[in-house]
Amino acid sequence: MKLLRFNSIQSNIAAVFAFLIVLTAVVISISSYQLSSIAARKTAQEYTTELIKQLNLNIQTYITNMENISMLVMNNRNVREFLTAQNTLNAEEISDFLQSISVSRKDISSINLFSEEGHWISDRKDAQLNPNITVEELSWYRDAAVANGEIVISSSQVQPIFQEYPWVVSLSREIRSPGSNQTLGILLVDMNFNVLNDIFDQFDIGKRGYVFIVDQRGNIVYHPQQQLIYSNLKEERIDEVLKDQSGSFITDEGGQSRMYSIQDTGFGWKIVGVSYLNELVSNKREMQISFLALGLISLILALGVSFFLSRKLTRPIKQLQEHMKEVEKGNFDIQVPLDHTREIGRLARTFNMMVVRIKELMSQVVKEQEFKRKSEISALQAQINPHFLYNTLDSIVWMAEAKKSEEVVLMTSALARLFRSSISKGQELVSIQTEVEHITNYLTIQQMRYRDKLAFHIDVAPSILNYLTLKILLQPLVENAIYHGIKNKFGVGIITIRGHEYQDDVLFEVIDNGVGMDDKTIARILSNQATTERRGMGVANVNERIQLFFGNKFGLNYTSELDVGTTVSIRIPKIGPDAIEQWEREE
Amino acid sequence: MNWFKRSFIIILLVAFVFTVYKGLSIVPGSMKQKYEITVVIKSMEPSMEFWQVLIDGVEVAAKEFDVNVTVTGPPNESEIDEQIRILDEAIQTSPDAIVMAATDYNRLVPSAITAKEKGISLITIDSGINSEVADSFIATDNFEAGRKAGKAMADLLEAKDKVAIISFVQGTATQIDRESGVLSSLEEAGITVIDTYYSDGVEGKAYQITKELSEKHSDLRGIVGLNETSTVGAGKAIRDLKLAGQIQLIGFDSSIDEVKLLEEGVMQATIVQKPFNMGYLGIKTAVEVLRKEKIPDIIDTGSVIISKQNMYTNENQKLLFPFVEK
Repeated sequence: MKLLRFNSIQSNIAAVFAFLIVLTAVVISISSYQLSSIAARKTAQEYTTELIKQLNLNIQTYITNMENISMLVMNNRNVREFLTAQNTLNAEEISDFLQSISVSRKDISSINLFSEEGHWISDRKDAQLNPNITVEELSWYRDAAVANGEIVISSSQVQPIFQEYPWVVSLSREIRSPGSNQTLGILLVDMNFNVLNDIFDQFDIGKRGYVFIVDQRGNIVYHPQQQLIYSNLKEERIDEVLKDQSGSFITDEGGQSRMYSIQDTGFGWKIVGVSYLNELVSNKREMQISFLALGLISLILALGVSFFLSRKLTRPIKQLQEHMKEVEKGNFDIQVPLDHTREIGRLARTFNMMVVRIKELMSQVVKEQEFKRKSEISALQAQINPHFLYNTLDSIVWMAEAKKSEEVVLMTSALARLFRSSISKGQELVSIQTEVEHITNYLTIQQMRYRDKLAFHIDVAPSILNYLTLKILLQPLVENAIYHGIKNKFGVGIITIRGHEYQDDVLFEVIDNGVGMDDKTIARILSNQATTERRGMGVANVNERIQLFFGNKFGLNYTSELDVGTTVSIRIPKIGPDAIEQWEREE
Repeated sequence: MNWFKRSFIIILLVAFVFTVYKGLSIVPGSMKQKYEITVVIKSMEPSMEFWQVLIDGVEVAAKEFDVNVTVTGPPNESEIDEQIRILDEAIQTSPDAIVMAATDYNRLVPSAITAKEKGISLITIDSGINSEVADSFIATDNFEAGRKAGKAMADLLEAKDKVAIISFVQGTATQIDRESGVLSSLEEAGITVIDTYYSDGVEGKAYQITKELSEKHSDLRGIVGLNETSTVGAGKAIRDLKLAGQIQLIGFDSSIDEVKLLEEGVMQATIVQKPFNMGYLGIKTAVEVLRKEKIPDIIDTGSVIISKQNMYTNENQKLLFPFVEK
C-alpha cells in the first residue's frame, strides 16, 4: 500500500516514468495503427482501381473488336452494293460472309443487316424475323438512326427479333452512302451477354465486393444483384456514379461503407467496382487486437520498469533516510555506506561527516559543561578559601585580644562586605563595580593582616563600572600576587589594580612589585596541571573561566620580571548590563 | 519487495499468455466457422428456370452474407419421397439452417420437425408445410397474385361476362390461394365464373379443356390460367381456334411460349413471381435467424403483372426472360 502513496519520490518517479512510457506507447500504437490501416486501405484502393482498369481494358478491347467486325462488314463490297443498290441479288453471298464471321466466334449471337428499303440479311440462314415485333421500334434501331453513323452500344437486353429472346448487348450502326450522307441501312451485331457476364463474374473484389456496369442512361448493364435492385430490396448509387466521370467515392454507411471505383469505358458504359471498406482493411480486427495487446504489454512493462527504476533510484535515499532516523533517535555511531551514485554518495559522505562533527561537538559540550561546573565549584572554593577565612578570623582574634576594637570592627565589616558582595544571587556575571568592591574589601582585609608589608591602589575608570564581568575574577589573581610576589619580598609590597577600556574590550591589570616569576612559574600557574599547588589553580581556573565564557581571544596575560614585579592583564569583552540575560542564557 | 516482484512476474506472464492466446485465436477467429446452410428445392432440373433463378439468388446471398450453401433437391417436383429422403440426409449433416421448398404440404412435416428438434433453423420458401415449425415462410403471396390476375381480367371485360379458371393440381396450397385470389377479384367486378378446371399440370389437357369450353360456351370471354402449363395450353388452343381477342387470357409465370403468346396478342398479361428474391431472402432470413435477429413469420416476395406493353422494360425483362448463367 505504501507504493500507492504519491508523496514519496519513488512513487512520483514511478508515476512519471509510467506516464511517459504509456503515453509514448499509446501515441506510437495509435499512430502506427492509423498509418498501417491507411496504408492498407490505400493499397486496397489502388488494387481495386487497378482491377477495374483491367476490366475496363478487357471490355474496351472486346468492344473494339466488335467495332472492327462492324467495319469489316460495312466495308465489304457485296454489303455496300446491297445497300446502295437496295437489291437482294447477293443476299446469299452476304449471308455466307456474315456467317463466316460469326461462326468462328461464340460470343457473337447474330449479325444482321437491315436496308432502308426493308430488306433483311442475317448470318442465320434459316432464321425467321419475329412477326409480332416491328424492328424499327426497337431501341437499338432507333438509337442508331439518330446517332449520325456513330456506333451505338446498348445495355444488356433481350433481343426479340428471332423469337429466341437471348440476352445480348447490341452494337448497332447506321450505314450511310459515302458521298451524300443518305441513310442506307442499319447494321446490328448482337453479342452474347453470357460472354460479358462471364468476364464480370470473374472479378471478385474481396469477399463481398462486386462489379457493376451502367450505361449512360443509368440502365444497369450488369449487376449481380440486379433483381434485388429492381425489387427495391437493395439500393445502388447509380445517380452518383453517373455524375462522376472517373474516379472514386466513398459512401457513408458506418460499418457498411463502400468505396466506388468508377472507370469510363469511352462508349457510354461505366464500370464500377464496389468494395466494402471494412473488408479493404481485411485484418482490421487483428490489427486492432494486436495493437491493443502491444499497448497492454507496454503498459505492464512500463509499470514494472518504472517501479524498479524508481526503486533503484530512491533506494540510497531511503537508506540515508533510515540512517537519519537512527541519528534522530540519538545513535551517532552510524556510518552510511557510500553509494555508487555520485550525488547520493556525496550526500552520504557529508552526512557521515556531519554525524561525526555532531558527535564531537556533543562530547565537547559535555566536557565544557563539566568543566564549567568544576570551575564554578573552584571559584566558590576560592571565594570561601578556608585558609583565608581562618587567617582572617585569626587576625581578628589577635586584634581583639590586643583590644584594638576599631580595627576589629573594620576587619569584620570588611569581611562581611566581602561575603555579601560575593553572594550575588548565584549569578556568574556581576557588574565591575561589585567586583571592584569585592576586591577592595579583600585587599582591605589582607592589608590589615600584613600591615606595613602591603599597600594597594585601585584605579578603575568610572566609565567601565557598569559593565559586567565574571565574579571573583580578580581575587585569585590578587591572592596569587600576595602569596607569590609580596609575601617573599623584603619591604612594602604594593598591589595596583587598574581597569579601563582598551580598544573594544575591558582590560584589568593587577600589578605587584613583588619578587616576580620566571617563565616556568608563569606557565605552571597558568596551566591546569598546577593542581598540586592549590593557589596556582585559582589563576588557571580564572583563565579558563574567561575563555569558556568569552572565547579564546580573552584571558590572562602575565608579564613578570624577577625582583621587579609581575603584571597580569585580564582582558574581557565589554558587556553592558542589558546583555546579562543573553550571557546567562548561553551559559 | 519479494511479494511485489512475484506479482509483477505473474502479471507479465498473464499478459504474455493472454497475448499469445489472443494471437492464436485471432487467426482461426477471422476464419470463424461460416454458417452452413442447406437449400432443398423442388427440382434440380436445369431447364426449370424458376429454380435456376432461385439458385442464383441463393448464391448471391451466400456471397454477400459469407455463408456456405449446399443446394440440393429431387430432379422433379413430383418426387416427394425423394425430397423427403434428401431432406433427411441433409438433416444428418447437421447444417446450421435448412431452407426448403416443400413438394408436399403435409408429407414433409415429420422431417421438418426432426430438423427443428436437432436445433436446425428452418426456413420454408415458395411452398410451405402444414406446420408451425418453420422460423419463417418466404413466398409469393399467391392470393394477392391471384387477385392481380383477376383484376387484370376484370379490367378487360364487362360485368356478367363469363370466365373460366384453368388450374393445375387440385389441393395444392399455391393453387388454392391463387384461385381464391382470382375469384375474389372477379366477384368484386361482377364477372361470372363458370368453373375451375384442372389441367394436372399437363399442357395438352389444358388445350383440350379450352377447346371443349369454347365449344360449350360460345359466350366465354376469358380464361385465367393458374400456372405456366395451364396458361400455355389454353393459349395455344385460343391461337389455333383463332379466338384471340374474343377470349382474353391471363396467365401465370413465364416461358418462351408465354412470351410468344403475349407478343401475338393471344395472352393479355401474365403474373410473374420473383424467384431470385425468394432465394436471396431465404438465405438472408436464415442468416438473420442464426444471428438471433427478429424476423417476420411470413415474407411476401411479391409478383408483377406483365403485358405486351411493358414486357421489354429493364425490370420486366429480367423477370420474364430469366438470365441464367449456363
